[in-house]
Amino acid sequence: MPNGGTLELMKHFVPDTGQSSEFRVARLERQLLRERSARLEAEAIAERGLRELYEQKQWLLLLQRVTKGANEADDIAEAFALSLREVCIQMGWDFGNAYLIDSGTREAVACDVWYAEEPDRLFAFIDASRQIRFTSGIGLPGRVLRDSRPHWILDVRDDEGFLRRSEAKRCGIKSGCAFPIVIKDETVGLFEFFSSRTVMATDDLLATMAQISSQLGRVVERDRARRALLHDASHDALTGLPNRALLAERCARAAADLSSNGQGVGILVIDLDGFKAVNDRFGHHAGDSLIRALGERLRGVVELFQRESDPNWPAERVTLSRTGGDEFVVLLDGLADRSWVDDLTGRIHKAFERPFYIGSSEVKLAASIGFALSDTGRCDVNQLLRDADLAMYEAKSEGRGRTIEFNEELGEVIRNRRQLEHELRLAIRDCQFRLFYQPIIDMRAGTELRGYEALVRWQHPERGLVSPAEFVPIAEEAGLMSFIGGWVLHEACDALARLHAMGEAHSRRFISINVAPMQFLQPNFAAQVRRTLMRTGVRPESLKLEITEGVAIIDPVRTAKVLAEVREWGVQTSLDDFGTGYSSLSYLQNLPFDTIKIDKSFIDDLTSKRSQDIVRAILDLARSMELSVVAEGIETEAQRAILEQLGCPFAQGYLYGRPVCEEQAFAL
Amino acid sequence: MKGIVFNLLEEAVSAAHGVDAWADLIDAAGVSGVYTSLGSYPDDDMTALVQSAANLLGCPENDILHWFGRAAMPLLAQRYGDFFKGHATARSFVLSVNAIIHPEVRKLYSGAGCPHFHFEDAADGALLIGYRSPRKLCHLAHGFVQGASDHYGEEAAIEHLQCMLEGHPLCRMAVRWS
Repeated sequence: MPNGGTLELMKHFVPDTGQSSEFRVARLERQLLRERSARLEAEAIAERGLRELYEQKQWLLLLQRVTKGANEADDIAEAFALSLREVCIQMGWDFGNAYLIDSGTREAVACDVWYAEEPDRLFAFIDASRQIRFTSGIGLPGRVLRDSRPHWILDVRDDEGFLRRSEAKRCGIKSGCAFPIVIKDETVGLFEFFSSRTVMATDDLLATMAQISSQLGRVVERDRARRALLHDASHDALTGLPNRALLAERCARAAADLSSNGQGVGILVIDLDGFKAVNDRFGHHAGDSLIRALGERLRGVVELFQRESDPNWPAERVTLSRTGGDEFVVLLDGLADRSWVDDLTGRIHKAFERPFYIGSSEVKLAASIGFALSDTGRCDVNQLLRDADLAMYEAKSEGRGRTIEFNEELGEVIRNRRQLEHELRLAIRDCQFRLFYQPIIDMRAGTELRGYEALVRWQHPERGLVSPAEFVPIAEEAGLMSFIGGWVLHEACDALARLHAMGEAHSRRFISINVAPMQFLQPNFAAQVRRTLMRTGVRPESLKLEITEGVAIIDPVRTAKVLAEVREWGVQTSLDDFGTGYSSLSYLQNLPFDTIKIDKSFIDDLTSKRSQDIVRAILDLARSMELSVVAEGIETEAQRAILEQLGCPFAQGYLYGRPVCEEQAFAL
Repeated sequence: MKGIVFNLLEEAVSAAHGVDAWADLIDAAGVSGVYTSLGSYPDDDMTALVQSAANLLGCPENDILHWFGRAAMPLLAQRYGDFFKGHATARSFVLSVNAIIHPEVRKLYSGAGCPHFHFEDAADGALLIGYRSPRKLCHLAHGFVQGASDHYGEEAAIEHLQCMLEGHPLCRMAVRWS
């Protein structure tokens, strides 16, 4: 005791030793009883607390296991399976089953993910449950789907709305419950559980299941995001079709399967004809919507083709992909019949027959298709793709709406062309071209040399001289002609300067050069000519530019303008190959030429009266229009005699001299 | 062993032989006697108490265990009435021990080493109970079954088919209710 005062007071309560021991024992026994009751009550309170703690710990552990499992699971099925198992074990429930909600039909569809402690015993019920589907309001899952909240059935045997009653009875299942799996407000799946005992809803259970539900909702959400990312990475944003990456993946798989299954692989490359014009005319936005519409149309065609060819052909083995601006590729993996390809290309071309619309404007498109098929010798799928691509270019070069199958000969031709194209680029870089000169003489003055036609030759380092007939078409196709033409212009003017420096007689001679359409139509062609004349200082009158009718056909207005511009400086202009092609008189009338050149084909045939009449008519026409005339390709004395007689002023041909190098030509 | 078992034994002994008997038993067994339902105590304490009781009463230990099991049942029914309510028969009650009673016991007393019983229906309608525990308290179980039968007003004939105490790997009992 802290102080004596309190001790004093306490003395009054000290038992009176005078009381009987019997009395004291009785009092101690009462005290003991109270102590015992107090102990029991304390124990009961503690037990209640322990029990609650235990249960809460179990709920937390369950939630923890589910959360951990859901985070570590690779996919929805794994996360669902693990959660079903944990809940069943924790609750002592016999069977747990998972559903996903079909986003299209809004049905709850069992996804064959379930857990049962004793699957054998519950076989009938499990079997009835694992692939079942429910619409909203029907059955236990349907109720959850309709109300987006948990539902309980205390005795499934009494519930008329429980569809699997007979199986449940057979398996001794008594009660069940189901919980929604939600993302925000959307029910994306649900779990149902069944037990052979009565299961009761408790607050803890409901709270825990709600948390499990939102955990699993996150798994579904994550899976959706992953799928969206995968889809975006493997599909073209504009059309939604597989892109080049997915095509490559499918090609790789096709290649892997090719040797084993013996079935064929076919690849079609589809390129639009006329799409660039649409883009130019209507703008890129319209071009995009056109591609989208076309993608839809092609998708329909390919899907129908696939179904009708073989209903069992797996969807992912026929891939329509968009691989470029206006290029689509179809991979046919598991091609059982070669004729199917002809069928498909036919369907594709037919799909282009219906016009497309941009606003109210009708647009007609066509497709060039190249395809390549695997065979015993060719089973590299990437090579097939390259081959089909080559075939497509070949189809395109033949006009709109063509289909060409790749074969070895075509491959050879194209490979040579590619090789030549490559070498042409080197030739331009290394200046491997030479100008040869063929004399043009004045027939009226005997054989007076008046000028030359400059002809380009390719001095190939290995093959020697290559003629223009061999390389000019390739250079034109590869867009290289303007480079070669530019060199010709410079070289010819340099040569003119050298020629004119040789003396009085030489200084009156001209040089005529051929200008390719692509070069002539370059926006700066006239300026290029002018600059070259300024640089070399040659008289403009000594330069003649030969163009063909083809230029005038492409753009008559521009042609007239450029011709007029160069003629203003004194440059001469010449219409080459006259009499072939269109030879429209209106060109002659509208385009400012100084000279026309009669094509060699008329000269070859000059002994016939018909050719003579034509040549005479041309000469008459030229005279009346005050145009000069050169006859090309004179090889014989007879031809010369006739032309002389007809009054042709100028001539060119082997009879007067073959094309020779500058040194020899200028020495004449 | 969980303190609750000692508490039950104390109650049973006090009820049958008076409060002083428990104090005497504690003294005779030389155990501490401090038992609360919340604690765990050495198995040896129980063994010593049972041995002392057997000595004091001049009967086999197995009989003491059997008596204790049977006598504990009304006390359990008093404390944990919910476990008994859901059942109409002793058989149904006994069958719920693994699935309900023992899990609940574990909730209350963490770390409780409850035995698992194996149940099987014999062809003649008897319930076959298999028991295996290092504590070898088959006679206590025996008493519990008897006590449960008393609770539901049934007669139970229990036959010990084989026993761990006789060197068998496990105990097997056949229970026939009438």
